[in-house]
Amino acid sequence: MAALMLYLAYMGLQLFFIDHVNPLVFLFSPNFSPDAHHPGALVFILGSVFVTLFALCVGGPFGVGVGVFLSQIAPPKLATLMKPAIEILVGIPSVVYGWLGLTLLAPLIRHSTGSLTGFGLLTAGIVLSIMILPTVISLSEDALRAVHISMKEGSMALGATRWQTIWSVMLPAARSGLTVAVILGIARAIGEALAVQMVIGNSAVLPKGLLAPTAALTTEIVTDMGSAQEGTVLYHSLFSMAFLLLLIAMALILGVRLAVRRSS
Amino acid sequence: MATANLAARRRTVNNVMTGVLWAAALSIIVLLAFFVGYILYLGAPVISWHFLTAPPSELAAGGGIGPEIFNSFYILILTLIFTTPIATAGGIYLQEYARPGIFTSAVQFCAESLATIPSIVMGLFGLLVFVTLLHWHFTALGGALTLTILNLPALMRVTQEALQTVPSTFREGSMALGATKWQTIRRVVLPSAIAPLTTGIVLIAGRIFGETAALIFTAGVSVSAGRSAYDFGLFHQAETLSVHLWYVHSEGLVPDAAQVGNGSALVLLVMVLIFNIGARLLGYALHKRLTGK
Repeated sequence: MAALMLYLAYMGLQLFFIDHVNPLVFLFSPNFSPDAHHPGALVFILGSVFVTLFALCVGGPFGVGVGVFLSQIAPPKLATLMKPAIEILVGIPSVVYGWLGLTLLAPLIRHSTGSLTGFGLLTAGIVLSIMILPTVISLSEDALRAVHISMKEGSMALGATRWQTIWSVMLPAARSGLTVAVILGIARAIGEALAVQMVIGNSAVLPKGLLAPTAALTTEIVTDMGSAQEGTVLYHSLFSMAFLLLLIAMALILGVRLAVRRSS
Repeated sequence: MATANLAARRRTVNNVMTGVLWAAALSIIVLLAFFVGYILYLGAPVISWHFLTAPPSELAAGGGIGPEIFNSFYILILTLIFTTPIATAGGIYLQEYARPGIFTSAVQFCAESLATIPSIVMGLFGLLVFVTLLHWHFTALGGALTLTILNLPALMRVTQEALQTVPSTFREGSMALGATKWQTIRRVVLPSAIAPLTTGIVLIAGRIFGETAALIFTAGVSVSAGRSAYDFGLFHQAETLSVHLWYVHSEGLVPDAAQVGNGSALVLLVMVLIFNIGARLLGYALHKRLTGK
């Protein structure tokens, strides 16, 4: 683990120490021209942030809702039927999600919106929303099940309806567990490479709208790593992006730890 | 009057929200059924004995996915051979031996962080170590070792959770009879935990089978050219089925890429279903056999 961190840090920082690229350029310039010694990665950073936010706004509430349903409302038989279904959704390889996005969603978006290719933020966001669902569902279900039954009984005994109980008692009581569910959903979304790469359009420009093609950190690595020559600015900047992703993952894990600690 | 209205409104809101949550949950099942149906619809016409066994083609139409299926299983088995002993040992240590302390929480923290690292980042790490540093180039072994690092934490977690299902009275009973700690683990705890452990391992095997991002730059995107397509060479390129699905679309040149993709997606999906259902059946059978229930 430590070796992995150090090695990636070493590789990721070469861009700044060997190629003497200004870190501010890497982080804040939208102009990605590694050949001209100007590897601005803002497009990819924003691309990652946008698709993740989109997935979170769509998949987050939906996933928590299904978690609520499974833990509070579902008849036990239906719940035992849905568990394997959710596990299968986890097991479907990301390339298959990407393939579905490519053959099903992109043409659909192309026809219904008149966008040229159907590839872009919207398509990638929808694919990711579906991909983070199982994570968010099962973790939020666990979080809600962990709430002590007396909370629920007390609320019901005071005459609250089931929804009032869920909304005003169960969800606040499970807050830290739900935070963990959402954070791990973010982690899954921001680290996903191939499913996004297949539908985001892969052009290193800032997107002008939801339908415009763009790129993300992970997709840029997948797209250009194969052709990057060892030791070039491009090669180093791709490793800097990987290092950035690693830092984001660490930050998310620290967030999880914080959320867990706050509750106990 | 006002209270009656309020009560009625509360009930309406309750009913509406119950309906919304039902709809959300059912849409998950519909979604899954639709995915499976759609991929079946796309892929079924492509599947033939030739497609499942023939080597892939670089330029002409009519290539198969035989070596890719073989490589997927080959890398899966290699990965399991490396991962299972380390992960079960680690899980047993953390669950049965470790006392709370700096070392234990450091191990836990590393495992958690390792589990959130994106697989593409792990792929680049594999590229650095196995391909560049050790000069192996793209190899089945490098791919399997990368997947080993990627899946260790999950498998360790599975072991820990399986051991947690064993009631502590089992351990106490065994110790009270004079068994040593290791005898207790070996003869009592592990056999009682074998059902959830097996289910967990098979589920993770399904995930390893479908892993792609970590393999593109470690195991490579072509099957060992010139040699036999079914190749046990640890140091030969070994493109797996999921990598192939990505490759035909993104970089491939074959004119029938859509067909090859549809067929590969179907085979991948069927394999995932088999792994999931198999995991449940196996766990159930083991549980029944070992507990006599």
